[in-house]
Amino acid sequence: MRIASGGLTDIGRVRSNNEDCFQIVVPLQLFVLADGMGGEAHGEIASAMAVDAVVKHCIDVDANPAARVIGPTQPNWSPWTKRLSTAVHLANRSIFRSAEEHPEQHGMGATLTAAWINGAKLSIAHVGDSRAYLLRGGSLLQLTRDHSLVAEQVRRGILTTAEAEESSMQSVLLRALGAQAEIEVDAEEHTLFPRDVLVLCSDGLTRMVTEPEIAGTLQAETDPAKAAEKLVELANERGGADNITVVVVRVEKSSKGWFTWLRREARKHSTRNGTSGGN
Amino acid sequence: MPKLSLMFEEKLVKEVPVGSRPITIGRAPDNDLPVDNLAVSNYHAKVYYEAGRMVIEDLDSLNGTFVNDLRIERATLHDGDNVHIGKHKIKVDTSGDAPVAVNAGRKPAAPRINETMVLDTKERRQMLQQAAAMGESMQFAATRMKVPTLVVLSGRTDQKEYVLTNRLTVIGKSGMATIKLKGWFKPAMAAQINQRDDGFYLGPGDKVPTVNGTSIPGPVRLNDGDLIEISGVRLNFIFRE
Repeated sequence: MRIASGGLTDIGRVRSNNEDCFQIVVPLQLFVLADGMGGEAHGEIASAMAVDAVVKHCIDVDANPAARVIGPTQPNWSPWTKRLSTAVHLANRSIFRSAEEHPEQHGMGATLTAAWINGAKLSIAHVGDSRAYLLRGGSLLQLTRDHSLVAEQVRRGILTTAEAEESSMQSVLLRALGAQAEIEVDAEEHTLFPRDVLVLCSDGLTRMVTEPEIAGTLQAETDPAKAAEKLVELANERGGADNITVVVVRVEKSSKGWFTWLRREARKHSTRNGTSGGN
Repeated sequence: MPKLSLMFEEKLVKEVPVGSRPITIGRAPDNDLPVDNLAVSNYHAKVYYEAGRMVIEDLDSLNGTFVNDLRIERATLHDGDNVHIGKHKIKVDTSGDAPVAVNAGRKPAAPRINETMVLDTKERRQMLQQAAAMGESMQFAATRMKVPTLVVLSGRTDQKEYVLTNRLTVIGKSGMATIKLKGWFKPAMAAQINQRDDGFYLGPGDKVPTVNGTSIPGPVRLNDGDLIEISGVRLNFIFRE
């Protein structure tokens, strides 16, 4: 599989600071996005801490695969899923500890959505209301569940999706990094197929842009960085009420199939002929 | 100190005290109270103290957690209650002092309007419970365990029947597909079935499948008994009891 990716974060049109944060670690094929919360500059600190902690653990564990796994895991998870989930638990601890040590940081926290691709396996770990989507065969599927009050109410059948979009409680999260000493992390893994497109985004995108529009933009623009740019632009055109962050990851076949194979074989053949001709 | 006693056929298997830390119950060996039985999920339920009361919470287990023969998602436990998990019984003893909550003194700063905030556990329970008071009872009937299954009626595939265990299922010739199509000129990814919150949706891949004879250009929710046709294969989608 060949992976192409691009991402962008934007302050939006209303906020005076950007509390979103993301990192793409190309050699690891690791993608991490966080949306911070908390007064003053603390949201920024929290989201940066979250992303750094996850990236750092994934890099460390890549060099030291025997590192300890933290939190509940499923026995069928790949090592990468376990590591990614562990990384999120560690990120939570570091934010929580920092807030304990610095009283002015009380109440700071962050959402976190991370994706790690190893071969054809995609590992996802998630806390909060940022999202991961998969576009496959033209349909967009939300891979993560929002840990927000309204999303929970929709799942329980108390609110309809339309009511949830109108609700004044949209910003109330049930889970976030830094809120408690230990948290529950959602993690799961999927198999990727050629032409799949993965999107990580903060709620600044999903509150402004509909899912069909996201799907349409991804289909129209095959360059991941440009697709991310277009989605951010669209959210800003709609008012850009919050910070907007988008990471787009495209999965391609590593070779072009039998034609490439044929050409490669032909080239091998011709070089072999060349050397034998010298004898 | 309050405790849980795991019983199997009226014989005591294990006892654990319930302190300030949550007790997890399940089939995986790293649980505080491991229960070795196939009917028990790996992480089946947890028991903890909240506002001085012992609470049990089902962790989306497959076969459910029962308190005094009622299936629960979450319930307060009282002295002498019987919890059933699989074929095991857990006796509840709440005598003795309840542990003191660890982070009781922590108060979040007052949230500003339109600012994202996190509910702490107690507030969140109250809000959800209020909101869910009516929704909850309706959910009980719907949580009867049904296994989504695809039965192959005709066409060449690697199995005759598939239980949809993953959230994302691919039908195609690809080696990574769950439902592998056999034969020449079959598409790598013919179609897909994805689990969403409200059910299973069939969507196109390289080919457009038909459901009950109608071709579907976009994702369609599958109902019990639906007939699917894709790339020369006919499948029956059913919920097995």
